[in-house]
Amino acid sequence: MNPESRLARFPFPLRADTYRYSTNIEPARVPVRTETGEWGGVLLDVDDDYAADLAERKRILKADPGRLQVLPHVRPACWDALLTCLRELAAQRPDELSLRCEGGELAWRNDLLGVCARFREGDDDALPGGPLGFLGSQIQDDIVLLDQREGALWADAGLVTFASGWSLRFDVGMRFDEVHGPVPRVHEDGVLARAERFLLRLRPGQEYRRTNWSLAAGGRLDHSAESSPEWAADRARAATARGRELAALVHLRVEVQHLVRLGASGALLFLIRTYLLPLAELARVPAWRLRLGRVLAELPDDIAGYKGLTPFRDAAVEYLLGS
Amino acid sequence: MTGLELVVTRSAEVVPGVRELVLARPDGGPLPAHPAGSHVVAECGERRNAYSLTNGGAEPREYAVAVLRRPGGRGGSAWLHERRPGDPLVVSAPRCAFAPVLTARRHLLVAGGIGITPMLAHVRDAVRWNRDVELLYAHRPDAPAYAADLDRLLGERLRRTSDRREFRGLLGDALRRQPLGTHLYVCGPAPLMELVTDTAEAAGWPAQRVHRERFTAAEVAPGTPFTARLRRSGRDVAVAAGTTLLDALHAAGVAVPSMCRQGVCGECRVPVLAGQPQHRDEYLDEHERAAGTCVLPCVSRSETGVLEVDL
Amino acid sequence: MDPGVDHAGTSFAVMSFSAEGRAVARRWAAALTATGAPVWAWHGDGATERALAELRDRLDGATVGWRLMLAGPEADVLRARSLAVERDAIDAEIRVHVCGTGRKRVWCAHCGGTTETECEAGQAVACANCGRGLLVHDHVSRRHAAYLGVLADPET
Ligand code: HEM
Ligand code: FES
Repeated sequence: MNPESRLARFPFPLRADTYRYSTNIEPARVPVRTETGEWGGVLLDVDDDYAADLAERKRILKADPGRLQVLPHVRPACWDALLTCLRELAAQRPDELSLRCEGGELAWRNDLLGVCARFREGDDDALPGGPLGFLGSQIQDDIVLLDQREGALWADAGLVTFASGWSLRFDVGMRFDEVHGPVPRVHEDGVLARAERFLLRLRPGQEYRRTNWSLAAGGRLDHSAESSPEWAADRARAATARGRELAALVHLRVEVQHLVRLGASGALLFLIRTYLLPLAELARVPAWRLRLGRVLAELPDDIAGYKGLTPFRDAAVEYLLGS
Repeated sequence: MTGLELVVTRSAEVVPGVRELVLARPDGGPLPAHPAGSHVVAECGERRNAYSLTNGGAEPREYAVAVLRRPGGRGGSAWLHERRPGDPLVVSAPRCAFAPVLTARRHLLVAGGIGITPMLAHVRDAVRWNRDVELLYAHRPDAPAYAADLDRLLGERLRRTSDRREFRGLLGDALRRQPLGTHLYVCGPAPLMELVTDTAEAAGWPAQRVHRERFTAAEVAPGTPFTARLRRSGRDVAVAAGTTLLDALHAAGVAVPSMCRQGVCGECRVPVLAGQPQHRDEYLDEHERAAGTCVLPCVSRSETGVLEVDL
Repeated sequence: MDPGVDHAGTSFAVMSFSAEGRAVARRWAAALTATGAPVWAWHGDGATERALAELRDRLDGATVGWRLMLAGPEADVLRARSLAVERDAIDAEIRVHVCGTGRKRVWCAHCGGTTETECEAGQAVACANCGRGLLVHDHVSRRHAAYLGVLADPET
């Protein structure tokens, strides 16, 4: 994507000069004005990186099919997620994308990728990768499906190729609170318990979103636990880099996460869309430069450590707040 | 309640005393999808009653409910029995607290009388996804609503009776021989629900395997009107029933930052100087609640006629 | 902490691993005999394939009302529990008491192999399958019956 439109659409997440974890949930589809433009008007953001991101996902998935995980009981929810998202895409871009019902079969046409598919709902073999695998080839978001039972939410399926420091293959089948086990503060503070109570009560069709952020070394989307041997070198480089070199290497990594209660299956669909912006580009916006610098300077050590930004935090603060 | 404004497209008495109403949008357009076991809250004249949806929940264009006429009831059911094709009807968006548990190895459904309605949706869903399902149905001798549909869908997997002793026997037997992994779903008159849950408990069923449809309306009451007194600007803002304090403040041109509008994020927190808040949020802890020195205006209201806030 | 027996159950399976586990299981069995409910008891050194095959047989024949009680080292208790949940038991039907050694299982994020060893979260262990040096995270999957192991970061 060209730097101007990347900047204009970037979901800058920091609302104040200090940052703490909170149950930061808001209604989906409400546009947010920023210093540079706007984000958030849609549920599924298709941007200039569409084809490139999906090609990257395909490459990762081919090398490691374990990024797609489906426990057998959530099959109906996978179909629900697929059809809900394809309908949503078609409504958003009717000229290029369409989902039609033709003689008991569904026909999906995606002119952005040059893809046509015909399938019957429930026939997993009709689509490459099954319903969830196919959905992951049509949207840039990572996908997690949560089943609700025994008064809790369970992460029972997903397709995650762009994770930030975690592994879906390890996490699949966990309860919502177990998934968040490694996150500091949110358990004691009640942030997570409030979030789960809220999510458990979401009614069919309700849609919310939240943002999450971190700093990452290198411009790759895949920062999963699995691929850490691949990004360790960039991290090591960032630990000693300064000034312009650091600003080109270190990125603000923002996740716009959508939480959707699916209708027919009642499952919770969790979509994670990841955006990367090198500090050098971010610094062109004075308000963002100052805000991120101040947040990083004040961030408590446990949160900084968990986010993995300790090795280059001081250098980033110096770059952002130095004259 | 953000209601769906629908019209009745069909109205028929399926067995004596039970009327099925089929509802659609006036333009015939798609309705919100929902899981099996969902219900809507219908505005029946002066009353609001909850009814299970018996239709399939994927991409529905029609909602179907079955209404038992309750002679001693408070009038909601009698009012619905008078609805005819073309009549308007407002219902809530579907809610669900009685969905099939997807991990279940088997689904054992037990229904009494009009409690058959959510089970109809369960049975349809189970057949569609090829789930192992069994239904035990107790009904009055003259009024086995939907018996023909259920016979066709379930065959031998349906046991029904109008004999109390036989029902108890079938129930006890069914509850003692289910493979681990079975979930039990119950809907019907209170005494039947009690009998089923007591029998299940005695047979060692953990509560997490037993699901009861009780129609506890999750609806938040609209609350009573009160006045918000703004100390700094010296203004009074009237907050009507059914309007949130946050909305009333916004309407009066007072900016309060907000995010979730559900009482979970804490963003809209406002200090209270006098009066007693009625906390309806999930955010404040016990101490903050008891102290009463702040309020989350997106959901909370006032116990006192006037609530003075630091705005 | 001993969770004690679940008196709501109507039949029980008690499995124990290691000597410490056995002592706990004996206490449970005594408490259960008093109720008259059928009890199946099994004891061994660990959650071996043979032990798990026995448990699988129990699970396949179990009806609702059945309860599972597990005592022993974390690695063994988690494995048995994971099998039970895979075969349709739910949390409310399982009670566990971890005792004995600090034996844990570590799941390698890179090769998917599992290493069983005495260790603590925060320590490094070598993956028995791919040989990488893994940092043991304080993150447990009850399904994998293991802790997460990720290539130890040379930076931290
Ligand atoms: C409103 C709901 C939620 C809240 C408030 C919440 C909160 C958080 C927070 C504060 C973090 C730490 C992020 C950081 O500092 O980088 C986190 C991490 C994470 N969240 Fe959530 N989250 C929510 C929903 C979900 C859902 C639905 C899932 C789906 C499974 C999920 C999966 C994760 C994962 C996998 C991590 C990384 C954990 C690790 O390091 O292993 N979250 N979440
Ligand atoms: S806006 Fe979130 S608590 Fe009020």
